[in-house]
Amino acid sequence: MGQLPYLCDLEAAGIPTMLVDYADQDLMVKSNALKFGVPGLRFVSASRTLPGPEDAARLIQPVMDGLTRPLTDKEKESGTYRPNNQRIIFEGTMEDAEAFFAQTQIVKHPMMNCPIALYTDGLPVVLPTEERVEKMLKGTSHKPDEILTLQKDGRQGKKGSEVVFLPKLRIASVERIAANAVMAGCKPEHLPVVLAIAESGVGVGTTVFFSQWACVSGPIVKELGMNAGVGTIGPGSPVNSPIGRTYQLMAINIGGAVPGINRMNSVGSPFNVGGVCFAEYAEGLPPGWKGLNEEYGYRKDESVVLAGQATGGIFGAQFSPGGYRSLQRSGHGGMARRADVKGTPGPHNWLDYLIPSLWSGREGGFVFVMVPEMAKHLYDLGFKTKDDVYNYLYEKSKVPLSEYRNRSWPDESTNGWLGIEGTSGKHWKELPDDYMVPMMSTPSQNCIVVTGSEEEVCLQIGGGRYIPSPHELDRWGATAYSIDAWR
Amino acid sequence: MAEKYRFISPLGIEDEVDTLPLAPRLDKLDGKTIHISVTGEPDLTIFLERQLRAAYPQVNWTSKKSYTPTPVRLTEEEMKTTDAVILAVSW
Repeated sequence: MGQLPYLCDLEAAGIPTMLVDYADQDLMVKSNALKFGVPGLRFVSASRTLPGPEDAARLIQPVMDGLTRPLTDKEKESGTYRPNNQRIIFEGTMEDAEAFFAQTQIVKHPMMNCPIALYTDGLPVVLPTEERVEKMLKGTSHKPDEILTLQKDGRQGKKGSEVVFLPKLRIASVERIAANAVMAGCKPEHLPVVLAIAESGVGVGTTVFFSQWACVSGPIVKELGMNAGVGTIGPGSPVNSPIGRTYQLMAINIGGAVPGINRMNSVGSPFNVGGVCFAEYAEGLPPGWKGLNEEYGYRKDESVVLAGQATGGIFGAQFSPGGYRSLQRSGHGGMARRADVKGTPGPHNWLDYLIPSLWSGREGGFVFVMVPEMAKHLYDLGFKTKDDVYNYLYEKSKVPLSEYRNRSWPDESTNGWLGIEGTSGKHWKELPDDYMVPMMSTPSQNCIVVTGSEEEVCLQIGGGRYIPSPHELDRWGATAYSIDAWR
Repeated sequence: MAEKYRFISPLGIEDEVDTLPLAPRLDKLDGKTIHISVTGEPDLTIFLERQLRAAYPQVNWTSKKSYTPTPVRLTEEEMKTTDAVILAVSW
């Protein structure tokens, strides 16, 4: 987030600093301070629970002490941090390697008292022998020692830039990505999808409810035999599951993400347990609705993967499938009463049932995962393109400024209400109470994925779609990467 | 005897980092300019700044605030006249 690089720059410039963090973030501060070249950075830990005045009174003396207490000999040292970048991580028998890859560490976090896996997601892995990795590499034309670079201009930078993996700002060779794919149980033909996901940098975020997912679009869905039907976001597929798992293994091994040190999601997320990769059901798109590949400027015969980092909630099953059918087929039931269409068969706009609750607590776009029948109902109602739906959601999301002020995240996204409101170009404080504020920067922060089966279910994944030049708090949405570029 | 294998590292590649010593600390507080860089929500920082200013009136206090986690950096000119920086709160 820029705090540690800033302080390390100041120390390097000869300006002494003191950082106040929260006690549970101490290990992250130490880890990042080393990464940015000032491992001795001084900090004190604030409480998350003491009343503010009491905590401040407790902290001012140690803060000033940190600025004035003479340096120790260790704090005066300079040196070099030399990470172990050896290509071969272990040599030995399979039995010994199983023990090696099953190693754990104890994270000295105040609210953790358990081992955390060093090289895995906590589950057994396929051991990445040189032979297995070599076989995996047959799934791509890219050379094993090639360092991953962006195949197209994108959120991380220009085409050709090295892909940087947070949180430890590492890079990766194609071979190291392949080693993770082996460990997750992938086959060589899955590797281009894995490499495309890797191009995203497999971010994990630090705090709040970060959830990672990937969704494949294009002919490779059928080519690989992905599950784009019942339970596409779920276990059982020998294609979806290992590819999704590789996302998490790459985050752990390539990025260096460790709970309690630099992956601070307080409660974690179910999406990140086994890893999530699902698939678009292109045949289920209504006429005129673009697939994800076409939405991102690729052709229908090109394959892409959408790599998403959801920052908000994941909402599903707000209505019963039977209730939905009653709304659409006979105009009966609670949904029909709410829509005031009692007794009139559909199609009716089911989005209106969701909208009041979608942005009740959090702003931003959503990824709307919906089954083909529900997409068809929207089409029949007159939404002839996905953009029609995105625009509708954008307009319907608006609330009066008087209401918008009473929300949590806008304190940050408006920079304490000192910034400029996006739709008016005016300062927030100049706008009247009845000014209608949308819940997202642009309509296209919403994203529709048609997939799944016949039962009338939809899922909304917070975070939506990444857009260029977002506000700092909007920068985590989903982005598409070409799979064909990694074949 | 069991066959031996070589296993490819799944770990990311890190650059070496030249590590630096801390900047020399302040020998006194009187007349020094100390900058408070506030980031994030004001659950603590309003009181911290207020109490620091009250407890150390001999210091020339300056501050910049960001409600996001990214601090507002000092300019090159401001760095020339700033003796120390306190940043609160890191997430």
